[in-house]
Amino acid sequence: MALLYLAFGAVFGFLLSRSGAADYNYIQSMFLFTSFQLYGIIGTAVVLTAPGIWLIKRYGRTMLGRPISIELKPQHRGNIAGGVLFGIGWSMCGMCPGPIFVNIGEGKIYAIAALAGALTGAGLFGAIYTRVQGFFRLPRLAVGTGDG
Amino acid sequence: MPLILHGLTPIHWVVAGFGIAAITLALLFVANRRLGISTGLEDVCSFVLPAPYFTRDAVVRARHWRMPFIAGLVLGGFLSAVLGGGFAPTWDLGMFDQVIGFGHAGKLTWMFAGGLFIGFGTRLAGGCTSGHGIFGLSNFEFPSLVSTLSFMAAGIVTTQLVYRVIF
Repeated sequence: MALLYLAFGAVFGFLLSRSGAADYNYIQSMFLFTSFQLYGIIGTAVVLTAPGIWLIKRYGRTMLGRPISIELKPQHRGNIAGGVLFGIGWSMCGMCPGPIFVNIGEGKIYAIAALAGALTGAGLFGAIYTRVQGFFRLPRLAVGTGDG
Repeated sequence: MPLILHGLTPIHWVVAGFGIAAITLALLFVANRRLGISTGLEDVCSFVLPAPYFTRDAVVRARHWRMPFIAGLVLGGFLSAVLGGGFAPTWDLGMFDQVIGFGHAGKLTWMFAGGLFIGFGTRLAGGCTSGHGIFGLSNFEFPSLVSTLSFMAAGIVTTQLVYRVIF
């Protein structure tokens, strides 16, 4: 199965690389409203994924006949606060988490610094989870903020 | 507008959106996996950090698929470079070089700082562009709508400030 996930990741990474989703200029152009490309990509992906998920849930099983169970993301104050922080970072780096890895593969040297920062940020969050849990009304530790 | 990568012309957004939807649905239909990349940052952390947040079941049990998926992202970027004109490590950062400048050290510092926001922010929000923006929105999850609006708004404000006000 690991090879399958590697292959899925590679196709996903290739698409991000060649579509502009992992391109600093395209990310800035999205936020400056000077290019429609990224809005088109995300919009198309959602418009096609939504009915697909609906169909798969209706079918109720995976291709191999195992039950489909989608864990929903919990609601908490971190949805907004974390979203705002992430938005600042996405703008600064011109990369969201997936494209950080794609840019490293492309040979963008500075993306390694973005990854180091992202791992440090995620590590910091995990280390202080129980201390910010009350303020952001986060779920209990075993659940976390939401996987995805 | 050409890509920074070898000045290639990007594929049409309909094609890219279709491909992303296909991978998202394939992950769900083949393996009952919910697309999400930022949790992978936690998986990497879980190899070195002993904090209870990283040793919890949900993180450790997902490593077996998230790690190869993330490795695949790197591989996909690498193949894209190789097939698009060759793998050539670069510092090229498009508009950033033309408008903001900075040397290599400044660029690394800027990227590390941005990365901190990405890592802390996505984990506090419980997802990123993929988990909230693509899968969550497609599955009509309210927290994902809230997060997506938040990170889009913050990205717009930040870029507008950086490119239309500060620099």
